[in-house]
Amino acid sequence: MKISGTHTLPAAQDHVYNLLLDPVVLARCMPGCESLDPIAENEYAMRLKMVLASVSGLFDGKVRVADTNPPASFRLIVEGSGKIGFMKGDGLLNLSSVDTQTTVRFDGDVQIGGTIAAVGQRLVDATAKMLIKRFFERLSAEAA
Amino acid sequence: MIPQEFEYTVPQSLDDTLKLLHSGDRKILAGGMSLIPLMKLRLASPEEVVDIGRLPGLNHITETGGTVKIGATATHHDIETSPVIRAKVPLLAEAAARIGDVQVRNMGTIGGSTAHADPAADYPASLLALEAQIRLASANGERTIPAADFFLEAFTTALEPGELIVEIQVPVEESNEGYRYEKVPHPASGFAVVGVAARVKKTKNKITLARIGVTGMSPRPFRARKAESLLESGATIEAAAAAVADGEEPNSDLYASAAYRQHLAKVYAQRALTTALSRSS
Repeated sequence: MKISGTHTLPAAQDHVYNLLLDPVVLARCMPGCESLDPIAENEYAMRLKMVLASVSGLFDGKVRVADTNPPASFRLIVEGSGKIGFMKGDGLLNLSSVDTQTTVRFDGDVQIGGTIAAVGQRLVDATAKMLIKRFFERLSAEAA
Repeated sequence: MIPQEFEYTVPQSLDDTLKLLHSGDRKILAGGMSLIPLMKLRLASPEEVVDIGRLPGLNHITETGGTVKIGATATHHDIETSPVIRAKVPLLAEAAARIGDVQVRNMGTIGGSTAHADPAADYPASLLALEAQIRLASANGERTIPAADFFLEAFTTALEPGELIVEIQVPVEESNEGYRYEKVPHPASGFAVVGVAARVKKTKNKITLARIGVTGMSPRPFRARKAESLLESGATIEAAAAAVADGEEPNSDLYASAAYRQHLAKVYAQRALTTALSRSS
């Protein structure tokens, strides 16, 4: 499933770029992320607890940062699996400056499988958008 | 699959229920039409299930002073067939009749459905069009909030931890109002791909009141306020229906793309408004 959007943050591009590449900040911004522990260069072990209404699931997986091109763009790959299913997101983030603000544009692909995919297909789009929105809201708060 | 092991409790009073809700990993069970399937799939595994399905005092349907009061555990069947609802807020009965199937309507409750806030649920469009209020109770007291402020995002409502929906309050529809709930049911699940609830009032062929609630199209149900003002300022139904999806982000899935949902919203808004207008006097 293709997913894309833009978000504007009230901070300078360099600052936003550095925040995005900081695993401590990423862990705080990713909804439900309990930990991001470095396992290799630009690679982190991820533990994430997703809660949506009555549904909750623990995901173990990896977050990888690739194709870094500071302060303009980079690729973020998130994958996790748990009892309720698995998911993989691979996105390109492009940053640009508008006055004192930064516009982040993301273009990516999200795949899910397992039980959540079998019964929740109609919600993948809405859920992904909601999680991404929460991510950027938290990032905005971090950037301020 | 069968659910993961859980504690099952049947509280004897609303107070006991609210005390239980105040802490812990507890889920409320009313009709179970949303919770049980999730538990069987192990997508939801609460430690304790608190069954309020037979709690007395929660399934009334009465009218006092121009407001219909519906207890949270009133079933869709109760609402569909209630003489009070059919006489005073018939739009809600029309919506209830379209939910799921007979078995779901016999068990499912308006409180459970509203608290679950599935983006494709049927009631929210009507609750918004009817400008209903939701009464919530917790161990700390009660509060009432408009339906318009209750549905926040997909499966996300203004319910705070420890709060329970106890009643839905709906102002009586006036006898000269026209109403209609139109829905595109998903062919397998019956969920609303798009659902439009419309109310209109007219005076001498001019629309004086228009209320349009839309469900299924977006992550949360919404009032099509632009379409409403267009109608109230003399625009045609076609023009108003064309604006019904303006400003709202449509959902997309394998059955219906975002563009298709937007298109459906416009077509079904037109149908709902046309029928509602013809029913008004």
